[in-house]
Amino acid sequence: MARGSSWQTMTVATSRYVVAYGVLILLSGVFLLPLLWMLSVSVQDVEGVFAQPFRWIPEQPRWENFREAVTMFPFGRYLANTTIITFSVVLLTLLSSSLVAYGFSRMRFRGRNLLFALCLSTMMLPGQVTMIPLYVAFARLGWVDTWYPLIVPALFGSPFYIFLLRQFFLTIPREYDEAAVLDGAGKLRIYWSIILHLARPALATVALFSFVGTWNDFFGPLIYINTPEKATLTLGLQMLKSQIVGTGTVQWHILMAASLLVMLPNVVVFFLAQKHFVKGLQMGGLRG
Amino acid sequence: MSRQFAYTERRYHSVTLPAVRAKLFMLAFTGLLAHLQLGCGTGDQHAKGTVVYNCPANAAEVAVLQKEIPRFADTSGVNITLHPFTGQEKLYAMMAAGQAPDIFYTSSTMRDQLAAEGRLLDLRKVSEGDPFVNRLWPHSRQNSLSPDSGWYGVGNWEFACGVYYRKDFFDAAGIPYPDTSWTWEDCVTAARALTVRANPSEQPSRYGIFIGSHFVETLELMRGSRFTPNALTVTIPESSLDVYRKYIALMDEELMPDIRRVQAMGMQAPQLLQTGRVAMLVEAVPHQTLMETLTVPWGLAPLPRFAGHAPAYFRSASGGLSISATTANPSSTWKALVWIIAGASIYQPNPVLRDADFVSGWEQRYPKLVGSGFREVWDLSLKHNAGDPRFFVRYASWTSGPILEKLQPALDRLWARQSTVEDLLNTAHAINAGLRAHLEETLRHRTLQPAFRTHLERAMEQLDEPASH
Repeated sequence: MARGSSWQTMTVATSRYVVAYGVLILLSGVFLLPLLWMLSVSVQDVEGVFAQPFRWIPEQPRWENFREAVTMFPFGRYLANTTIITFSVVLLTLLSSSLVAYGFSRMRFRGRNLLFALCLSTMMLPGQVTMIPLYVAFARLGWVDTWYPLIVPALFGSPFYIFLLRQFFLTIPREYDEAAVLDGAGKLRIYWSIILHLARPALATVALFSFVGTWNDFFGPLIYINTPEKATLTLGLQMLKSQIVGTGTVQWHILMAASLLVMLPNVVVFFLAQKHFVKGLQMGGLRG
Repeated sequence: MSRQFAYTERRYHSVTLPAVRAKLFMLAFTGLLAHLQLGCGTGDQHAKGTVVYNCPANAAEVAVLQKEIPRFADTSGVNITLHPFTGQEKLYAMMAAGQAPDIFYTSSTMRDQLAAEGRLLDLRKVSEGDPFVNRLWPHSRQNSLSPDSGWYGVGNWEFACGVYYRKDFFDAAGIPYPDTSWTWEDCVTAARALTVRANPSEQPSRYGIFIGSHFVETLELMRGSRFTPNALTVTIPESSLDVYRKYIALMDEELMPDIRRVQAMGMQAPQLLQTGRVAMLVEAVPHQTLMETLTVPWGLAPLPRFAGHAPAYFRSASGGLSISATTANPSSTWKALVWIIAGASIYQPNPVLRDADFVSGWEQRYPKLVGSGFREVWDLSLKHNAGDPRFFVRYASWTSGPILEKLQPALDRLWARQSTVEDLLNTAHAINAGLRAHLEETLRHRTLQPAFRTHLERAMEQLDEPASH
């Protein structure tokens, strides 16, 4: 009887797993479809893109699409530009946001909560509202058509990352700070040697968000960069799409091959940081 | 001994390794700073004597332009700097900062508004006596005129519209190919004969024709509707309503696929014709994607005429190049603009120029066009040019926003046969009634130039007129 019941429980549990995984696989299929389409189109020829019915696996994959994609615009240069901008932004964001978050989580001062609320409220401002005033300010500084407007704002932290890191720092027991104080450590030493060390999962999460956001940023470079030599990969992709004459010719197979190449670093970085990323998100949500 | 070694190793790890790391870090940091210097350096301030052209070009086109610019500079003394990344937000931000490019693209929807704010140079001031002006088609200039009679843009490209058809399907059905004399009735008869269904209860496996809803406006022209360009209010003539009914009838009779279905399937024009899903397709002429992807036998015919109505063909001239009012040297900028339109090879042969043999140029580029009917369609669009009636061109920049946000959904409901043409008329009345508040708000703008203010005030008097007449 007991054996029968345990068998029944096992069967129910297994069927639940099957249903859950079935639904998840189906949903992931829906989300993966555009990516698979991109993969398929990136190795098709121009007729294959419009063929009906669509052939997901071409008879003869056209690998030269990738070669053409990297020669149709200065891919190498734009890759270097994007890498430099992205790594600078990630580095500065980590430094500035963690420092501010440390202040909000560990220091007691008058108006702290008000300041924190003010900091968070800036998240509500849509980019379109601040775009023109910011552009005018950067133009007055003579920074238009330089990378400064893309990099320097990272020095002032980002409210979302500050929030995320503050929440994580609050989960770190204060006893560590007290022990460090007894050993003669000051505030900055505690921040640098203890808090940052223990907050690696959260920092990885912020780094990942910041990396993906900056790597994929189209609007910032579009607004501030004028000279082709200073452009980023996203602007390069736009150059593949735009045209002067005629009506509606986009070489989708080349565009998809280029998009795939541009997307690759995001995927690599995500898989490298996946473990820390999930942990960081879980821990960041523990305390309010 | 081994204890001593262990100590040394620990010491190495605790002292030497961080030192190596620090050196590596410094090296990376120096490299970073060096490249940053390249990207940051100094901003691209407009150099004296240089004209900045914000051009919507792809990498290949930019490369060609960049090769030709030095030759132009040698002969004219005017140097052009290309800014190939374009966008409306970018343009507005640059204007707000007083750093507008000297030459940039303006669509007809934004041109009037920018002119009214004094942001565009009146080209009459710089073009006087220049023979280039006579090389432009009169309509090209006419389309860029504003209510203050100023000339604020030169069209940089034009296209027509026609019916691409599958010759093999016409041959198999024993129907003569369409020509310049065919009428709407001929077109519907041909569509009926070309529609194929396995049995009467099933949907057709091939439809006779497909006309995208954005081309219905061209049929309105053919049916005799005439529109004031840049209108501030919605007017739907009876002839347009008749066209809407005919368009819906095509879907009701299943001679044309339901446009919602085509959109849902994500099919594009070339796919529809190439795969034989439709036998005739109304599209832009010339259409590069069609030229490059069609491998089936095809021909091109003008849009069918409506019996008893004078020929009136679609011709788009909805955008062009404008010069910023803040340009430092207007005459140099004008020279650069003229060169871009009439000299830069990527624009040639340019259809906005009367002396350019556009058809031969395109036939050379795409030999498939020879004998396809392209020349006839193109010539008719010039001979009986009725302009560009598309909604985003038909309505003025002042009111196109509030008009289209209500009119477009109403039309979508009509094409989906969820409403009637009478409902559409009621919507048009409601839209016009709501425009008063919008125009009053616009009139409060201090930057509005006097001629434009008068124009808007006069327009407000028309608001009570019926939407259909």
